[in-house]
Amino acid sequence: MMVSPLVARGAGERTWRIVLLAVLALSSVGPMLLLAIWSVSGAWFFPALLPHTVTLVAWRSAIGSHALASALGTSTVLAVGTALIACAVAVPFGQQLARLAGWRRHVGAAAAFLPVAAPPLALGTGLQVAALAAGLGGTLPGVLLAHLVPAVGYLSLLFLGTFTLLDARPAEAARTLGASSWQAWWRVTLPQLRRPIAEAATIGFLVSWTQFALTLVVGAGAVRTLPLEVFAYVQAGEDRVAAVGALLLIIPPVLAMAALRWAALRTEVLPA
Amino acid sequence: MSRDAPLAAHAVNRRRGKSAGLLAAALLAAPVLVGLAYAIGASLGVVAAANDSQPSLARIARVLGERATWDSVLWTLWVAASATGLAVVGAVAVAVAFRGHARGDRVGRALAALPLPMPHLVAGMLGVWLLGQSGIAARAAFALGLIVRPAEMPPLVYDRLGVGLVLTLAWKEMAFLAIVSSALLATRGAAAEEAARTLGASPWETFRRVTWPLLWRGLAPAVVAVFVFVAGNYEAAALLAPSDPLALPLLVAQRATDPDLARHADAYVASVLLLVIASAAVAAHEWVRARWEPFVP
Amino acid sequence: MHFDSLTVRRHVTRLVTVPVLAVLAGLAACGAHDGLPAGQADIDAVRGLPWDSVVGRARGTEVVWRMWRGDPSINAYVDGWVAPRLRERYGIALRAVDGHGPELVNQLVVERGSGRRAGTASLLWINGETFANLRKEGLLAGPWATRLPSAAFVDTASPIVRRDFEQDPAGFESPWGRVQFALIYDTLRTPLPPRSVADLAEWIRAHPGRFTFDQGFAGTTFQKILLYALNGGVSRFQGGFDSTRYIDARVNVFAWLDSLRPFLWRRGETFPPDVAAMHRLFANDEIDFSMSNNQNEVITKADHGVLPRTASPLLLRDGTIANTHFVGIPFNAPNAAGAMVVADFLLSAEAQLEKQRPGVWADGTVLDVARLPEPWRGRFARLGTDPRQLPRDSLARYAVPEVSPRYHELIAADWRAHASAFTRREGAR
Repeated sequence: MMVSPLVARGAGERTWRIVLLAVLALSSVGPMLLLAIWSVSGAWFFPALLPHTVTLVAWRSAIGSHALASALGTSTVLAVGTALIACAVAVPFGQQLARLAGWRRHVGAAAAFLPVAAPPLALGTGLQVAALAAGLGGTLPGVLLAHLVPAVGYLSLLFLGTFTLLDARPAEAARTLGASSWQAWWRVTLPQLRRPIAEAATIGFLVSWTQFALTLVVGAGAVRTLPLEVFAYVQAGEDRVAAVGALLLIIPPVLAMAALRWAALRTEVLPA
Repeated sequence: MSRDAPLAAHAVNRRRGKSAGLLAAALLAAPVLVGLAYAIGASLGVVAAANDSQPSLARIARVLGERATWDSVLWTLWVAASATGLAVVGAVAVAVAFRGHARGDRVGRALAALPLPMPHLVAGMLGVWLLGQSGIAARAAFALGLIVRPAEMPPLVYDRLGVGLVLTLAWKEMAFLAIVSSALLATRGAAAEEAARTLGASPWETFRRVTWPLLWRGLAPAVVAVFVFVAGNYEAAALLAPSDPLALPLLVAQRATDPDLARHADAYVASVLLLVIASAAVAAHEWVRARWEPFVP
Repeated sequence: MHFDSLTVRRHVTRLVTVPVLAVLAGLAACGAHDGLPAGQADIDAVRGLPWDSVVGRARGTEVVWRMWRGDPSINAYVDGWVAPRLRERYGIALRAVDGHGPELVNQLVVERGSGRRAGTASLLWINGETFANLRKEGLLAGPWATRLPSAAFVDTASPIVRRDFEQDPAGFESPWGRVQFALIYDTLRTPLPPRSVADLAEWIRAHPGRFTFDQGFAGTTFQKILLYALNGGVSRFQGGFDSTRYIDARVNVFAWLDSLRPFLWRRGETFPPDVAAMHRLFANDEIDFSMSNNQNEVITKADHGVLPRTASPLLLRDGTIANTHFVGIPFNAPNAAGAMVVADFLLSAEAQLEKQRPGVWADGTVLDVARLPEPWRGRFARLGTDPRQLPRDSLARYAVPEVSPRYHELIAADWRAHASAFTRREGAR
C-alpha cells in the first residue's frame, strides 16, 4: 500500500506515538486491573502498593448476596427492556424528525437532545413527584419509563442522523415497482438499518445499565439496580465488594462495545 | 388530473410529515418539561408541600439569594469547563496521532474508546483509589521515596479546586470525544490535510490551519454535550468533590436529605437551576450544530 | 420559507398541548382523596383485638420495610436471619427496601398529596428528627407499640430507651436497638489518646492535619457532643428547644472549632462527606481518628478489612451520646397488622440476642436483660465479649441522652454556613 506523505512517520513522531500508546494502554486497562486487585484484597492500607493479603471473601460475599443478585436481575431486565422499547420508538421518531426541514428540524433535534442533556438527578427529582402521583413511584415500570426518557432521546438523535444519510432510492424503487409503503418499509428500509439498529440497541442498553440518579430518585429505594448497590457498598466503606460489583457493572458493556467494533471491522473496508 | 394526483399526494405526505415530526419532537421533550413543571411547582409549594406551608415565591427568593447556591453554580461550571477542555486536548491528541489505517492506529483508537461504557460511578471510585492522598499514585510516590506521609501528596480529592474530579471526568469523557474526533478526521480531514502537506506545509502548520479548524467545528456539538454531562453528574461528585463549595447536584441531594424539613424543597429550586443550565446547553448545542455542520438538508 | 399563520398556530398548539395536558393530568391526580388512609384505619380496627387475631391477620401477607440499607452486615441480619424466621413462623414475607431519614418524610408527603389510600411501605426504621418530622406532619399511624407482647420487657427505666431525642414515643414507634457514639483510634499509632474534649483540643494542636469530622450523621453527633461539653453539660439543653440557649451555646462551639481550624485536616477548609470516607482516611494514615454512632462498628469493620485490626473505640469523659433507634408504621401502611407482628419479633429476646452478636451487627439491646426469663438472661450474659468492646459500665457512665431534634437540625446547617463564611473571610490557601 502506498504510504501517503500524510502518514509517513518520522522517528520523532513514532516515539511520540509509542509513548501515547503506552499511556492509553495504562489508562484504559489499568483501571480494570485495579478493580480486579481490589476485589481480591484483604486489608490494603497505605503505603502498600499491593494488598497484604489476598482473599476471596468479597467474591463469596457478593455471589451469596441476595441483594446483589436481585439488583443484577433488575438491571438486566431494565436495560434489555429499555434497549428494545427505545429502539422501537426511536426508529419512527428519527424518521419523522429527518423529514423536517429548516427551523422545525432544529426544534426537533433540540427536543431529542433535551432529555439526554437534562441532568438525571434534577430530571428525576422533578419526575419523582409525577411518578408518585401516578402511582408509579418505586415500581419497576416507573423506573423503566424514567430510563426510556434519555434513551429514546439519544436514539432518536442517532436515527435522525441515520435517516438523513439514508439512501432513499431502494425504497422508492420498490414503491414504483408496486410495493405498498408498509412492504417497502419492512422489506427494503429496515434491512438497510440493521447496523444502526444494532448500535442503537447497544447504546440504549448502556444508557439504562449505567443509569444511577434516575433509578435512585424515581425508584424511591424500592427498585435496586446494580449501580445503586455498588454505590451503597462504597458509602458503607465496603470497597472490596464494591469492586466486585463494579467489575460486574463494566464487563457486559465493554464486551458489547468490543463485539460491535469487531462486527464493524469485519463488514467495512474502512475502519471506523 | 391523474398527473396532478401524485404531486398532491406527495404534498399531503410532506405536510403530514411535518406534523408527525413535530409531534415526535413534542413527545421527546414532554417528560423533561413535565419534570421541570413539577420541580417548579414543588419550589413554589404548590405540590408535594409540607402541612403548614403556603404556596409562595419566598423559598425561591431565599435559595436564589443564598451565597451557597451561586458558589455551587459557579463551581459546577468551572469543573465542567475544565474537564471538557482537558478531554478535548486528550481526544484531539489521540485522534491526530492515530489517524490512518496502520495496525498501531487501529489499536490506539480502540484503546482510547475503551473507557466509553465506564459509568461515572466506577470512574469516581477509581478516582478516589488512584488520586487520593493515600491512593495508588501516592503509594507509588512512597515506593519511589518521594513522600513519607500522605499529607505530602497534593490534595486532589475533596479539594476546593476539584482537580481529582476534573481529571476523572476528563478521562471518562475523553473516550467519547476521541471517537467523534477520529470519525471527523477519517471522513473530512484526509483530503484537505493531504492537499496541505503536498503543498509543503509542515505538520504543525497543517494542524493549525487545516486540521484544527475542521476538528473544533465538528466537535463543537459534542463538546457542549460533554459539558452538560459533566455539570449534571451526581455520582462522581459525591465521591470526589469537596464539601465547600458544593457541586450543584450535591447541593440538590444535601437539601433533599437535610434534617430540617423546611429546607427540603430547596432541592427542587436547585433542580430547576440545573435544568435551566441544561436547556441553555441544548439551545447552544443546536445552534452550534446548525452553524457548523456541513450537511444541512 | 412561507410561514402560514394557520400552520404555525397548529404546530404551536400541538407542541404546547401535550406537555400541558400531562401536567394537568398529574396535578389533577393530586388532591383527590378517597377515604381514610390504610395504616391508621387498620390500627384502629385491631385496637381491641387479642394479639392472636393480629397474628392471624398478618399470616400470608407481605410487609415492605423501609430502612437504611447502607450497611451489608445489617442487611445480612435482616435478609438472612429475620426474614426466613418471619416466613417460617408467621407466614410473613418481609421485603426490606432502601429509604431513611428525610427521604422517608419526602416520600410520605408526596404519597399523601397523591391522595391514594395505601402507600408502599408498612414499616419504617426511624429515630430522632425523622420521628419528630413524621409526627409533626401526621405521617405516622398509632398508637400501637405498647400493646406488643415483647414490649413488656423493654428497658423503659433507662432514659436512653424511654425517650427518642427527648420525645415520648407514645406508642407511635417501637424501640429496636441502642448505640453509643465513640471515636475510633489506632492503638499502635496513638498509644495515648486524648480522653476529654479539652485534651482533644490540645492533641489537635499538637498533631496538625490529623483530625476532622464528617458532614453526615456521625459528624453532627460529634458537634452535639461539643455543644454539651463546651456549655456545661447536657442538662442545660434538656426540657425542649430553647432558641436563645442554642444561639449562645453555638457561639462557644464555633469559637472552639474556629480556633482549631488551622490544625484540622486540610486546614478545616473542607470536610469528608460521610463516615465511610472518614474510615478510609483513618485506615490509610491520613487522619488519626475516625468516629461512629455505634461503638461496636469498629469491630465489624475491622473484621471486614475496612479498618486496621489495631483500631479501638474511645469514649470521652465529657460524655458521648447514646440513643435508641425505633421502627414505626406510616399512616398509609398497606399492612399494619403485619408490621406490628414484625416489630414484635424484632423486639423478641431471640432477635435482640442475635442482633447483639459481635459477628452479626453488635447493636445494643433495648430489653431489660435482668427481667428476661431464663434461658435468655443467661444467653445475654454469656454473649462472647470481644476484647475491643467497651465495658458496659464505662458505656453507662459516659452515656449522654439526646435532646430536642431541633438542636440536631440547626447545628448541622448552621455549621455548614459558618464554615464556608469563615473560609471566605480568612481566604482559602
